[in-house]
Amino acid sequence: MSTTTTTYRDDVACVPRTGTLYDVIDIILDRGMVIDVFLRVSLVGIEIVKVDIRIVIASVDTYLRFAEACNRMDLEADTRSRTVPELFGGAGGGGMVRKAGEKGAKHAAKAGEKKAKGVASKAKKAAGGAKDKVRSALPGRLGEAGD
Amino acid sequence: MSRIYVYGVVRTGHPLPTGPTGVGSPPEPLRALPAGALTAVISAAPDGMLARRRDIIAHQDALLALAATGPVIPMRFGSLAPDEDTVRARLSDRPEEQLAVLERLAGRVEMNLKALVVEDALPQLLREDGRLRRLHSQLRAHPGYEASIRLGQAVAEGLQRRALRAAVRTRDRIRALADDTAAGPELDGCVLNLSFLLRREAEEEFRATVADCVAEYTGHADFRLSGPLPCFSFTALPGQAAPARRSAPTTARAR
Repeated sequence: MSTTTTTYRDDVACVPRTGTLYDVIDIILDRGMVIDVFLRVSLVGIEIVKVDIRIVIASVDTYLRFAEACNRMDLEADTRSRTVPELFGGAGGGGMVRKAGEKGAKHAAKAGEKKAKGVASKAKKAAGGAKDKVRSALPGRLGEAGD
Repeated sequence: MSRIYVYGVVRTGHPLPTGPTGVGSPPEPLRALPAGALTAVISAAPDGMLARRRDIIAHQDALLALAATGPVIPMRFGSLAPDEDTVRARLSDRPEEQLAVLERLAGRVEMNLKALVVEDALPQLLREDGRLRRLHSQLRAHPGYEASIRLGQAVAEGLQRRALRAAVRTRDRIRALADDTAAGPELDGCVLNLSFLLRREAEEEFRATVADCVAEYTGHADFRLSGPLPCFSFTALPGQAAPARRSAPTTARAR
């Protein structure tokens, strides 16, 4: 028997990961029988691990990031209305190519974002920048945002 | 003086796993410390122990291996006893209560479901929420720090509401499959962190139902389902409150 974690993002169930600590560490450190006469292993060590998983983000930073994302979304919608017809024309075959391209780019963007989120716990601001780069580097993403 | 590391409590006669070993580097071997009908699974505690990744995994793996052959009351990570007599004294203190917990955990596993806010849902949210669109056009007309904060806060709350609604509906559907539930600690970005006590046979149906809910509430919340876990969240002795929480359960906000 081993513990697995299945992550569902949108309707895609990612392959279950085995033996990962991240998703259950709050349970292992916070739950389980406690006997008052026992000692807890080096409390300092436990607190450090806990702080590590409880990502502390200044709310203001998050709010500004969301506001920025709203503004960017409009910009992206504008760009799309100009460039997409030029790129793919009105032909039926073109539509399919576009759809496939969008799908691939969407996944790539997701993967990139996931990486950005991992970094986020340590440097939220840097991650914001990385996300922007991922978004601007992947034109398929523009279509999705404007749909 | 050598301290004892305690992994969990089992019924006396419970076979010890041969494969996994305990905390420390090199890993300390697991031992049984019986006292009447109850047995503590222990090892020597290495000097200068810290909450290291390797040790947390060793604790978890030892408990999973024990749970494969019968019920086990898992100790919280990092429980050290000064000596064997202390452990024996604890086992002998009202053993019937601990046996009752073991009975309750027999043939059961813990599954943990977390629901997280989906930041990608921003376009849908903006389409659905007139107030957000108003704030947004105000910001475009009069850009500024305060207006950005107001919009960002409204977006964050909107995304949170969306995720929470999906999480609560999912919870209400799968709760019927579980014997019991226990709220986990509140985590940033999580709108739901809930553990379920399940019969082993129910695990498959539980997973399938979760997958159904996920499909239904797609784009509202991201879900992470972990398990089977040792029953960390269901160790409270009868008449004893659940392990203390630092904050109110996340689900309370649903109402």
